Amino acid sequence: MSAVISASHLSKWYGNVLGLNDVSLEIEAGITGLLGPNGAGKSTFMKLVTGQLKPNIGLVTVRGRKAWNNPGVFQAIGFCPEHDVFYEDMTGREFVAGLLRFYGYARTEIRDRTDRALDLVGLTADQDRLIRGYSRGMRQRIKFAQAVAHDPEIVILDEPLSGLDPLGKRKLIRLIKEFKTQGRTVLVSSHVLPEIEALTSQVVLIHQGKVLAQGDIPYIRELIESHPHQISVRSDDPRALAARFVGDRSIQKMTFAADGRTLVVETPNRDGFFGRLTGVLLEAGLSVEEISSPDDNLQAVFEYLVGK
Amino acid sequence: MKTTPAVREVFGFFGGLAWKTGKTRVFALLGLIPVALAVVVRIMLHGRTGDMVAVFTEILMVFFLQFYIVILALFYGTSITVEEIENRTLPYLITRPVPKPAVILGKYAAYGLLMFAMVAASLVPSYFILNFGRMSRPEVLKAFFINLGVLGLGILAYTAFFAFLGTWLKRAIIVGLIFGFGWENVIQYFPGSTQKFSVVHYLKSLLPYRPVSGGGGRGVALLLFRLEPTSPPGAVLALAAVAVVFLALACWLFRRKEFLPEE
Repeated sequence: MSAVISASHLSKWYGNVLGLNDVSLEIEAGITGLLGPNGAGKSTFMKLVTGQLKPNIGLVTVRGRKAWNNPGVFQAIGFCPEHDVFYEDMTGREFVAGLLRFYGYARTEIRDRTDRALDLVGLTADQDRLIRGYSRGMRQRIKFAQAVAHDPEIVILDEPLSGLDPLGKRKLIRLIKEFKTQGRTVLVSSHVLPEIEALTSQVVLIHQGKVLAQGDIPYIRELIESHPHQISVRSDDPRALAARFVGDRSIQKMTFAADGRTLVVETPNRDGFFGRLTGVLLEAGLSVEEISSPDDNLQAVFEYLVGK
Repeated sequence: MKTTPAVREVFGFFGGLAWKTGKTRVFALLGLIPVALAVVVRIMLHGRTGDMVAVFTEILMVFFLQFYIVILALFYGTSITVEEIENRTLPYLITRPVPKPAVILGKYAAYGLLMFAMVAASLVPSYFILNFGRMSRPEVLKAFFINLGVLGLGILAYTAFFAFLGTWLKRAIIVGLIFGFGWENVIQYFPGSTQKFSVVHYLKSLLPYRPVSGGGGRGVALLLFRLEPTSPPGAVLALAAVAVVFLALACWLFRRKEFLPEE
């Protein structure tokens, strides 16, 4: 399969700040998730692909054509920016229809496409309201509508699920997945792992401007699983609890937190530990105030990968 | 999309939007000041015509020429680029299949038309109220159309210059204020060729000039004082050149410049 978006030794910096560092990537048709914490370089990569920024070093092409200062490329691209910004004095309909004007459609086609896009995101009833009066979820949906109203072959979505309620998220995820069945290319960014997991198994992990890993989710999981998880248990008697786990081979390390009431356990087998913990608590009659996983987030995963 | 249809579409997009903004409402209200003043002056000058009416008409022109069109052009001209960057809406425009210069040219045309409409909506009633009873005189009517045309040219030239500043500089408003209300107000009174480095010099060169004799008219004559006016064709050419050159520079810069995120 040939690459739709191709980046070769791509670097971008803002003054002294490195935005993207020697990134080489090939993105094929289907959904690709761009995953990384805030400031990782996801938006920079998307801005380079959509011609908003010019690479300092390297090359980025869309269907073999350079993106920077090449407006012809954008006929095939739909871009949904990250920021919650709009022409606030427009109605939802004016916004979508207005931006469709830039594709050279006839007035009737603009009207039809606007109707379809608004219907797709469920904003037909609110199309004549000013965007400034929209809820956060509606704003996300109208932003998505403007990105797809011209039926682009390539859809680039920067954090499209942020601000949506669970129902809205589910609907948008379904829509994005439909694009895949239509043979389109979707590049979607998020810093929330479950969101990306719900969309695709093809992931690019990006951190501090570098691609850490690229591949399907099981591969990424494998990378993560090779590192121990931290589990923190706050109870009335953390020492008694620790004594119960002494000799457990699945536990690599146990420490007590500074408050004297919290036991911090490191284990590569988190599910196994939780299974045993329940039994131990019942057997010993210990009461637990809080159980948390301080490293159960993407930032921690990246820290593992970076430290590898 | 080719540049010409793209300019048309950008014009259509912003032509509708610009009329609805809070900024437009504020500046339209500002345009009511001369109308209100014209009513007051008209009442005060009840029964008197001639020089006093001419004097107040010139005061009116000073307001339009050296304040209203400058402030309008400053805020709308710089905002062609600056508002897209500050509001972070630029991606909506530059990720479309339109040449980047079309964004500048389309917005320039849309904002230019809006400003001209605001100026006309303010000038027409105030001028007619002040000159009530004299408008049937051909020279008064002719002077009105010349004044309106000069203000139109001023909008074109100033807006192009401020559009360039907005595309070039981060703090374009501050530099624009210094230019519009500092440089322009001072340089026009410098003798020799220095005065020709101000836009207002060429605008004043085109105005119907009538030195007021005696009385309170001297101060006003100074306000519209023309040191060494350029010939009308030369002034029109110079203003057109300012508009074309700075608009071309703004387009060129906008095409090659990266607008980096602030964060």
